[in-house]
Amino acid sequence: MRLRSLIALALHNLADNELRSWLLGLCAFAIAAFAVTTVLVVHGAQESLHLAADRLGADVVVVPRGAATQVDGALLMGTVSKTWLPSSDVARIAAVPGVAVASPQVYLESLSHASCCAVSRMFIVAYDPRTDFTVGPWLHQSLGGALGLEQAVGGCRVTVPVNHNIMLYGYTMWLRGKLEPTGTNLDQTLFVTLPTAYAMAHSSRTTAVRPLVIPRDSVSSVMVKVRPGQAPARIARSIADAVPGVTAIVSPQMFAAYRSQISGLLRILLLVLGLLLVLAAAVTAALFAMAANERRRELGVLRALGASCGAVLVALLGEALTLALVGGLAGALVAAVGVGLFHTLLISALGFPFLFPAFGRLAGEVVLGLALALVVVGAAAALPALRVSRQEPADAMRQ
Amino acid sequence: MICLRGIAKSYEMGRDWPIAALRSIDLDIERGEFVVITGRSGAGKTTLLNIIAGLARPTAGSVKVDGVDLWSLSDRQRSLLRNRTMGFVFQFPSLLASLSVAQNVALPASLASDVDGGGRERAYELLEMVGLADRRFSHPRQLSAGQQQRVVIARALVNRPELLLADEPSSDLDEETEAEIMTLFGRIHSETGVTIVLVTHAKQLVAYGTRHIAMADGEVAD
Repeated sequence: MRLRSLIALALHNLADNELRSWLLGLCAFAIAAFAVTTVLVVHGAQESLHLAADRLGADVVVVPRGAATQVDGALLMGTVSKTWLPSSDVARIAAVPGVAVASPQVYLESLSHASCCAVSRMFIVAYDPRTDFTVGPWLHQSLGGALGLEQAVGGCRVTVPVNHNIMLYGYTMWLRGKLEPTGTNLDQTLFVTLPTAYAMAHSSRTTAVRPLVIPRDSVSSVMVKVRPGQAPARIARSIADAVPGVTAIVSPQMFAAYRSQISGLLRILLLVLGLLLVLAAAVTAALFAMAANERRRELGVLRALGASCGAVLVALLGEALTLALVGGLAGALVAAVGVGLFHTLLISALGFPFLFPAFGRLAGEVVLGLALALVVVGAAAALPALRVSRQEPADAMRQ
Repeated sequence: MICLRGIAKSYEMGRDWPIAALRSIDLDIERGEFVVITGRSGAGKTTLLNIIAGLARPTAGSVKVDGVDLWSLSDRQRSLLRNRTMGFVFQFPSLLASLSVAQNVALPASLASDVDGGGRERAYELLEMVGLADRRFSHPRQLSAGQQQRVVIARALVNRPELLLADEPSSDLDEETEAEIMTLFGRIHSETGVTIVLVTHAKQLVAYGTRHIAMADGEVAD
C-alpha cells in the first residue's frame, strides 16, 4: 500500500475540515507554547541563580543580619542594599579558623537619567583588589592583569562597547572587558576596584548632579573562600558565632527567597501544564472521535479499495500528527520568540531573573515542547483511530 | 473463480439475539460470468457481496477466490488481493469529496505499489471510456448522480480487476440513467471479459447478465 497516498488524502481532509483542523492545531499550539514558556522561565531562572552564585565564586557570603534578601536582590535584580557591615568585620571574618580569604564588596548604583552618567541607573560592584577572588581570576585570564584606577569591567549587557570610556558621576573610566551572561542584574553591572569607587565618590562632589556617597568604613558584603577540606556550612556557623550582627550564607543557599519563589512558580506552572495537557488530550480525543465517526463510510471505502487496517490507522494518525507538528511548532516558536522579546518585561513581572538560553539549548527546548504536543495529540488520537481502523469494512460502510 | 461453501452470517442485535443474514450458502461463480443477484430488501444480497469481497467475515463457511481462502490471509494480504483483483461499485455515493474526479479514479492505483504516472494515465483512459474525460478536474459534488456513478465504475476498473462487484449501482438513478449505467456494465463485460457480480432489487436488470441468482431470507432461492 502506498502510505504517501494515504498521507496525501489525510492532508486533503485537513484542508477540507478547517474548523476541526484549527481546533486540533490550537490544542497542539497551546501545549507546546505553555511547555516551552515553562521550561524557558523556570530552567532559565535556575540557570541564572546557578551562574550568579558561580560568578560570585564564594563558598560563604557574609551580609548584615536580616539583609540576606536585600543582598540577593541587589545582585540579582539591582535593587541596591542600604544596609552595611562595619569594615572592621572583614578582619574578624578573615581571622575565623578555616577561612582562606575574606574579601569585602560595596554595592552602589549610578544615577537615573543624569547628565553626569552615561548609563542610567547602573549597578556597581566595588571589590578589594588585594583580596578579591571573584572577578580577579577572570581578569588575569582574559585581560592579562588586574584592573587599575579608572578602569572597569562590565556584565554582558552593559551598553558601552569594550575599550571605550564610560562616565558615571562625571568620573570617566575605561571599560576593559565584558563578562559572560548570567541572566541576572550582574549582566548590567559594572565591576570596579574599591579605590576607583572611592575616587569616583570623591570626584562626584564636584562633577556629578548628586554626589556618590559611600559610608565610611562600611562594606555591603564579605565574600569568603574556605580553606581546602573545610566544610563551608561549618565555617559559616563559626563566622556567625564569631562576628555579631552578621548572617553567613553558604553558596548553595544563596538567593534562597528567589529559589523558593521559583519553586512555587514551577509548581503552579506544572499544575497548569498538567491541566492543559488533560484538557487538550480530551478535546483532541473528542474531536478526533467525532471526525473518525463522520468518516467511517469513507474509511470503509478506502478499506474496500485496498487500504489495509494498518495503513488506515497510519493515515489517521498521520493526520493528527501533521496538525500536532504544525500547531506544536508554531506554539513552541511563538513562545520562544515571545519570551525572548518580552524577557525584560517578564523579569519585572515575575520578580526574579532568568537567563534566555543560547541557540543550542533554545532549539532543544523548542523540540521538547514540540515532542510533548506530538505525544499528547498522537496518544489522544490513537484510541479513536485504532477503533475505526479495526472496524470491519462492511460495518464501516453501513451507516 | 469464486467458491463459497456453507456460508452463514448472523448479526448480534442486542444481547443473545442473533439475526441470520445468510444461511448456509454454497455458490460457485466462474471466470467471465456476469451474475445478477436479485432479491427483496433484507434478502442478504449485500451481505453476500461483502463476504465475496472479504469486507465482512462469515460466521461460518469458507470463501475462496481463485482457490485462495480469503480468511486464511492476513488483513494486509487480503487488502492487497482486493486492491489487485477486485473493483467495487457501491450503492451509496462513494467518491471522496476532497479529491478531484481524476484523483478518485486513480485512488486504487495509488494505494497499490503502482507508479503514479501509470495510474493517472489509466484513470484518464477510463474517464474517456465513461465519457467524462472533460470533467477530470471537477470535484464529485459538481457532478450529477449518474456521472458520479460512472466515475465510480471507472475507479473500479483502474487496476484492471478480474472481478467487478456492484451493489445496487443504479438504485438512486432515473430510468434513463439506469439504462446507461447498465449498458456500460454490459460493454465492460463484453470488452474486457471481467467477471461481474451485480446485486439489485430490480428484476428488470436480470437481462443484462449471463446468469441470475435470486435470494430470499438469506438463502439462494433458485
